[in-house]
Amino acid sequence: MATVAAVAPLLETEALCKRFGGLAAVNDVDLRVAPGEIRAVIGPNGAGKTTLVGMICGRLVPSSGRVLYRGRDITAMRPWERLMQGIVYTFQVTSLFKSLSCYENVALPAQRRLMRGFAARLALREKAVAERVCAALASVGLAGIAEQRADSLAYGHQRLLELAMALAAEPQLLILDEPTQGLAQAEIEQLCDLVRAIARSATVLLIEHNMPVVLALAGHVTVMDSGRIIAEGTPGEIERDAGVQKAYLGR
Amino acid sequence: MNDLATHRVLALHLGVLALLFLAQFALPEYHHTNVARIMVLAAYALGYNLLLGYTGLMSLGHAMFFAAGMYGAGLPVYYLGFGAAGALGAGIATGMLLAAAFGLMALRTSGVSFLIVSLMFAQAFYLASLYFNEITLGDQGFILSGKLAPLQLGGTPLGFHEPAVKYNAALLLFAACFLLSLGLRLSPIGRVLIAIRENEERTRLFGYDSFRYKLLALVLSGGLAAAAGASYALLFSYVGSTFASILFSIYPLLWTLLGGVGTILGPLVGTGLMFYLVDIASGITSAYLLVVGVVLVALILWFPQGIMGTVRAKWLPWLP
Repeated sequence: MATVAAVAPLLETEALCKRFGGLAAVNDVDLRVAPGEIRAVIGPNGAGKTTLVGMICGRLVPSSGRVLYRGRDITAMRPWERLMQGIVYTFQVTSLFKSLSCYENVALPAQRRLMRGFAARLALREKAVAERVCAALASVGLAGIAEQRADSLAYGHQRLLELAMALAAEPQLLILDEPTQGLAQAEIEQLCDLVRAIARSATVLLIEHNMPVVLALAGHVTVMDSGRIIAEGTPGEIERDAGVQKAYLGR
Repeated sequence: MNDLATHRVLALHLGVLALLFLAQFALPEYHHTNVARIMVLAAYALGYNLLLGYTGLMSLGHAMFFAAGMYGAGLPVYYLGFGAAGALGAGIATGMLLAAAFGLMALRTSGVSFLIVSLMFAQAFYLASLYFNEITLGDQGFILSGKLAPLQLGGTPLGFHEPAVKYNAALLLFAACFLLSLGLRLSPIGRVLIAIRENEERTRLFGYDSFRYKLLALVLSGGLAAAAGASYALLFSYVGSTFASILFSIYPLLWTLLGGVGTILGPLVGTGLMFYLVDIASGITSAYLLVVGVVLVALILWFPQGIMGTVRAKWLPWLP
């Protein structure tokens, strides 16, 4: 592998596999993500990217292998416990609470950390939740539409709302699954600025198809094909890699 | 929700309770008893609404919780000479224990499967109440009058057969269930329950163990249903297995749908309306269930969100 992290990795997978029947969607993947980096995972459709991050955030149970986070084995940890460790996932397809207001959408993740322990739960005041909600909405530029229903928003704003929800959960490892999908160019640029801002306080694992976005954001790129990692390196190295060009870039 | 909205919500709901209190001085005797009965049944519907309206789980087995409350309160009065307070406590505890045991098994399912499992459990409960008829006296049931000692309030005996005692006890039960539902709805836990109703997987990935929250909602829902069942037994002095039958699982569903699923006021409105619908229709024709059916179809056609749901959608978006 091209990258050898000098510091202890934040996230590490060891020989991670996920089989669906006879199909190995993820096959023997060793991934190491250093704290503070923006890591992009690219690859053709069906390469196993979403399956891989599904096992990292706890949506999917691995067939074999391990997931380590801050050096701890979290393979058996349930998804709701992983959030409390700082692992936050945003879906590839918008997955909002559609009939609720933007405020309520963000309030759900925002109150989670305030509900740690029974005493904290009883002492929880809406004011503390409201402050967090407003801060998260403001940081994605949606401050003015807190009372609107989530499904009344334009698609671009729905993606931003998802990001505000993720931010309200106070991520330390934020997994973004194709965040720019379906966005217009201006919206993509806004989103890139946001991801850069988030990366100042969190590690970002980014699944992305849009190569200009990957080149602009990522410090390191991992390329997957048919469930395996086929290359890893800086964006420049990946662009020049012959195997990657054949499998993915189609050149 | 900001402070102003919270005050508005509290004012409206406390106002409804005040109206119910004042109504007892204005109502003629016949309606007086009816409204007392409606309040007890509305407490049952509130419990049902907690599960269907705020957690998104549709049950067709709530009669077992209502009946568990009824037997849990009635049997100790009949056989062991329990007083009203002890009987009420025993009834609620029975319902909550049953709901917890049922939930640990049935909450592995959801949607239609949950509906069917709840129906099967409730049928088993109903058949058990008939099978053990040496104790329960089956569908013939038993009456509590003469067995239940009157409440003592500062040396004054208060018998449940007195209309004023009956009315105010029913109001007390209803107010407790009503305020508990409202408090839960406005709490962080209520927010989690609604999120589970809307999108369970997303809620889990935001750090909430949805099974625990659904179990909590089910136990509270069963507890309210049992409180209503226990109060029904104590106030109207009769316990029988009819109340465990499927009809009494369907009623709270209809009341809630009619009044407005997922609104705090809906169960009261739906229960009251349906009660008087049946009452008036049965005075006109023996085919009164047909009239009820037609009215229900019309309501579902034109007010699919129920009465309070429509009010919320059209005029009062802040209604909880």
